Amino acid sequence: MTDEQTQHPDDELLQTFALLTETLVAGYDVVDLLQTLVDRSRSVLDATAAGIMLADDDDTLELVASTSESGSLVTALQISAETGPCIESFVSGRIVSVDDEPPAPVDWAPFSLVASELGFRSVHAVPLRLQDLTIGTFNLLRDTPGDLAQRELVAARALADVATLGIVQERSLRETRTVRENLRNALRTRVVIEQAKGVVAQMRSISPEAAFAVIRDYARSHELSMSHVSAGLIARTLSF
Amino acid sequence: MQRDGYDETVEALSAPVDSVNGVAASLTRLFPVSGAAVSTIGEFLGNETLSATDDVAARLDELQFDLGEGPCWDALNTGRPVLEPDLWTTQNERWPVFSRALDRREVGALFAFPMTVGHLRIGAIDLYASEPTDLSREHTQQASRLAGLVARAVLRIAVAAPTDEPMEATKHSRRTIHQATGMVLAQLDIPAEEATLVIQGHAFATGRSMMSVADDIISGHLAFQTGPAGIEERR
Repeated sequence: MTDEQTQHPDDELLQTFALLTETLVAGYDVVDLLQTLVDRSRSVLDATAAGIMLADDDDTLELVASTSESGSLVTALQISAETGPCIESFVSGRIVSVDDEPPAPVDWAPFSLVASELGFRSVHAVPLRLQDLTIGTFNLLRDTPGDLAQRELVAARALADVATLGIVQERSLRETRTVRENLRNALRTRVVIEQAKGVVAQMRSISPEAAFAVIRDYARSHELSMSHVSAGLIARTLSF
Repeated sequence: MQRDGYDETVEALSAPVDSVNGVAASLTRLFPVSGAAVSTIGEFLGNETLSATDDVAARLDELQFDLGEGPCWDALNTGRPVLEPDLWTTQNERWPVFSRALDRREVGALFAFPMTVGHLRIGAIDLYASEPTDLSREHTQQASRLAGLVARAVLRIAVAAPTDEPMEATKHSRRTIHQATGMVLAQLDIPAEEATLVIQGHAFATGRSMMSVADDIISGHLAFQTGPAGIEERR
């Protein structure tokens, strides 16, 4: 592809899948994979923001990767996981889309309020499904109303499947681990990253949100996983 | 073997336990002493003996509670072990009343180890020997480490007591708590698990939720630092 050529809308999608599948084959850290996935979904699916939530042992959904670490987005997704499209999608195993007209169900009012305050006009929750089991949700938030186009629906479904595969397959070649164990591992990794954000925030007198960017940039430039870098920061064997 | 017994005790205390009743007895097996007592001391958890091998050990702690002075108070206040290997020939002037009240027919040596978790002063472990006795460097280190583990166990038990429910950390708060844990571990250079316990302990001691304590830490309104008497708050 050269600069003069106009990029076909599906090129980006193709590149994303090439990147993700390559990662799956080469070996990866699950949180990093999910992070790449949500980041890519912004351009591929025209999402303003996106987040992946995974179920813990009590089937409570926790945010594992999101396009922004801002408190408001995190809160919006967490509310959605309590009463909103996210939990609805998780429980029903179906894609749940909601936009500002017609209005969302009354008991989703807290979610609708936060979402509209953040400028989101439609939300689409895609279940991460493995046969009969739903292990989490892939959430897309857009600043435009309306449903996902057919093409986007297919892409969103496929991205959700890549996320599911990524979670299910991690380490399964080396160790026999159950899906539940892999889920736990992903959630634990996220805890470690959160703690590392605190360490960097403290050392540099910056916000945890800014600390995330620092950790991510360091991991990328050193070709390390975020969980690896985070573990080093917490053990105080790594500092930057 | 001594070392095996120590490792076993470390292991047993590192796992979640319901009570520390048996701790005093295991201490007397590990160290060359006649008896031991484990007590909470001070405002945080009140003065109470949790485990004692015998009446002498229990009375030694009781006496220190009543008098408000003695090696266990010193240990807790300084955050360091207090070693009195020979009470028959030396008199410690820091605790004149306790020193006078001490029955030297029963006690020849006394060793007190502070039980602290982060900035929280939990209590002390007292070991006594009926005759003057030296405690080796290794034994002193081991007893200090065990006191730290006992402190954590006691704090966990206290915090888990069903008297209140400050632990309802919703999903909202968890990220905040993890981030605050990271900040505290960097402030104090301690492991993550211990940093969480510092936050938990602070929440428990101040009657607040872990989330609101975590919010204060992240906003910078609350910070911890290592001071002369252990870990303290910096506001």
